[in-house]
Amino acid sequence: MKDILTKINRLAVDNFSAEYSEVRAQKLKKTLLTLKEGRVEAAKQGIESGVALRVLVNGAWGFSSVGSFNLQILKTAVSDACSMAKALSKRMKNPIKLADTKVINDKISVDPKKNPATITMEEKIKTSLAINQSSLSYDKRIKSCTIDYLDLFGTNHYSTSEGTFIEQDKLYIWSRITSSAFSNGAFTFSREEIGSTAGYEIFDKQPPDVIGEQVAKRAVTQLDAKPVKGGKSPVVLGPNVVGVFVHEAFGHLAEADLALSGGVLSNRIGKRIGSNLVTLYDDGTVKDAFGSFKYDDEGVPSQKTLLVKDGLVNGLMHNRETAQKFNMSPTGNSRGESFRVEPIIRMRNTYMAPKDQSFDELLEDVTSGYYMKSFRGGQANLDGTFQVGVQEAYEIVDGEIGSPVRNVSISGNTLETLLKIDAVGKDFELWPGRCGKGQTAFVCDGGPHIRIKEVIVGGSA
Amino acid sequence: MAVLEKDSMLSLADYAVSSALQKGASEVEAYLYEGHSTNVGIERGQVTKSNKILDQGLGIRVIVGKAIGFAYTNAIENKNTINDAIASALNAAKASKPDKNWSGFPEKSLYGLVEKTYDQKIIKLHSKDLVSLAYEMLDAAITAEKNVLPIEGGVSTAFFLNGIANSNGVRAFDKGTYIECSLAAAVKKKNTITPVCFEFNAERTYNINPKWVGKEAARLALSALNTKRIETRTTNLILTQFALQSLLSNTLINSVKADNVQRKQSPFRDKIGEQIGSDLLTIQDDGLLAGGLGTAPFDGEGVPQQKTNIIKKGVLKNFLYDNYTAKKEGKESTGNASRAGYLSTPNIGTTNFRVIPGNLTSEQLIEEVDDGLLIYYLQGAHSSNPVSGDFSVVATPAWKIKNGEITHSTRGIMLSGNIFEVLKNVSLIANNERKLGSIISPWILVKNVRIIGK
Repeated sequence: MKDILTKINRLAVDNFSAEYSEVRAQKLKKTLLTLKEGRVEAAKQGIESGVALRVLVNGAWGFSSVGSFNLQILKTAVSDACSMAKALSKRMKNPIKLADTKVINDKISVDPKKNPATITMEEKIKTSLAINQSSLSYDKRIKSCTIDYLDLFGTNHYSTSEGTFIEQDKLYIWSRITSSAFSNGAFTFSREEIGSTAGYEIFDKQPPDVIGEQVAKRAVTQLDAKPVKGGKSPVVLGPNVVGVFVHEAFGHLAEADLALSGGVLSNRIGKRIGSNLVTLYDDGTVKDAFGSFKYDDEGVPSQKTLLVKDGLVNGLMHNRETAQKFNMSPTGNSRGESFRVEPIIRMRNTYMAPKDQSFDELLEDVTSGYYMKSFRGGQANLDGTFQVGVQEAYEIVDGEIGSPVRNVSISGNTLETLLKIDAVGKDFELWPGRCGKGQTAFVCDGGPHIRIKEVIVGGSA
Repeated sequence: MAVLEKDSMLSLADYAVSSALQKGASEVEAYLYEGHSTNVGIERGQVTKSNKILDQGLGIRVIVGKAIGFAYTNAIENKNTINDAIASALNAAKASKPDKNWSGFPEKSLYGLVEKTYDQKIIKLHSKDLVSLAYEMLDAAITAEKNVLPIEGGVSTAFFLNGIANSNGVRAFDKGTYIECSLAAAVKKKNTITPVCFEFNAERTYNINPKWVGKEAARLALSALNTKRIETRTTNLILTQFALQSLLSNTLINSVKADNVQRKQSPFRDKIGEQIGSDLLTIQDDGLLAGGLGTAPFDGEGVPQQKTNIIKKGVLKNFLYDNYTAKKEGKESTGNASRAGYLSTPNIGTTNFRVIPGNLTSEQLIEEVDDGLLIYYLQGAHSSNPVSGDFSVVATPAWKIKNGEITHSTRGIMLSGNIFEVLKNVSLIANNERKLGSIISPWILVKNVRIIGK
């Protein structure tokens, strides 16, 4: 493998005048399951093998992807990538340059306690059936339960014209559980995801019967939830909602490609954007976490990147291209979903650091507000407007958790909202998820419980 | 890699079917896909990157005693990897549980003709042609407004072929083309940046207008620069195609998929024939629409695509079926099995989900509004409740309409409600139909939606 990849890089540089060339070859195996109400809709297995080639010619990128390791096909692909890059370099006013990175030669193996490669399909189906069963049997008002399961493992080979060669094993286990409940004309829907870069032992830590019940319980509780009026309100956010808030409202703005595109963080390095309780990290080194890896897809070691320290912007997430523009070091955030796509700046495990307050202390000063416990989705805009939809929320009345509320979301502007964080808890949770930015990345988000003095709560009552 | 043309693709499919039958499958379906795409990408005002992607593969579904197994491989250069995929699919089926409702793959049928889905001119475009189109779009944006930031976008072409064969005699092949240009732009003045405004144009034939896309993205961004806040209240909304697409695809469309109806995940269960929306509202799923982005002679299971009435004058008429859900009710599939290439088994999906236009121009629609908002982009529609249709989303930017005229832009407006209430409150429909992904619609005016402002 190493020989072929080296040959291709040499060809790009020697014959097609590339200033830089990299090859990412991938051989992965995938297992997917979908179960609906105890019925195995499909048991699926797949092979993902192919090569991504990326070249920089006269400051322009060329990329080519093929599902083959055949030398002749790769030669054609690299020639295509170089000629495309050349074609567009002619009109470029600001050629791309790359920040330096250390030349690496390394081999990363994974050694899970329970390797999904050695677990039979029967066993995997059994686990999903158990989740399905515990959800459906929780309450007769539960009408449906869908389980999606994925495991993905294999090896990536990465080689550059600068001499880096990395052989890195990949291992991901993921499952999504959704349940719906119906009673007296009310429909509810509940979702939970699990994800890990360790092995199948994730199901020992999060047993099927526990997670199935958890999803079902939320769907049932939500049947009695009332719509809210909406408007400005104090809120306490649970770690799960804090995670998606940090990811959406702040994280995307701290991706250096978006910051360069005029995002609100572009000229705020060193400046205050949050209260002094706010410290944020994007950390690719958390053991077993869904967003962790050793090297990114530009061969840069993953790291714990401090984004905000005590409310001041400390840094951004970079690839080699943006790091050069900001005169910073690459942070190991360059990721490509598969050999079919180019690597782009992505988050890893993004979280707020805990402080010192208990959950009760966060609640006690709120006379009227909401506790947002679990999110359904979120989205942000470059101008700093964010939205986080919530699947589980409660009223807070005189410092106590009250009745469940439904169909709520929170919104505001990131720069105003981070300043309004007036209490940060001492607990900490990290939740797995998948982030979409044209391609999907496996990530974690999290933090402690926090309190925000005021956000806009969307409601329909 | 050599292009798999009709004969080579179908003979591979035939091989996979007969080989899997020999190895013990009671039924087999083989799906082959090949896609060639070329893309040039814009970043911050210049074309900086280009890519060429060749993706081909085989997805094979086998039945062993009513249990279903599926496997795919993207290595189809030799028979070994295909044999491996067959073995994997058989193993998966053997490990799985029988499905008592399984009643076979679709039977052979005749396909209709589709128009304007394939254009040689797109295939012949070179990456340098795409660069020219991208700069046409960029130049139009910058000419329209010098403070515009063309953040990202690009021009893409695709040429794809697919073939399907099953053990019931289905044997089908189709090829198509696609071209798209898009631009996301914002305007920055002093310390203010507008929300990102996005425009695009996607067609199956070489018939795109990059100048319009560039100009329109810049115009929208510029008009979003000066904002005023808006009071919380119940008001009228004009939903443009962007807003409708994000709302409908996360709510209504889930409710008309037969799978969700059968699984009690849809409020439309037992509502066929009932008035569920305004009598102005007619919605069809038209899999044969000329030039439609979801148009093809057959669906992901080889069933002919068709035109299906979903809502007619506000009355619920039909659901979207694949073969499995249709057989379960003793019906015929509506040709709505859709596939993500060779990577997955089919799922129920829309083809061209079309809201039938009314008579008013977009200007006339705005003139009809005394007090309301023009809504383009919604944030967070994917966080809607897919079962109940409840949504709680943010409109950024939106434009205020007063006495029939657009007065100013606003941002961060929250809209909360329920899609089924929205359908009842449709009060006028414009005639400015437009394709947006698999949704085709004009602007619609909706009354009585709760908005939360300052």
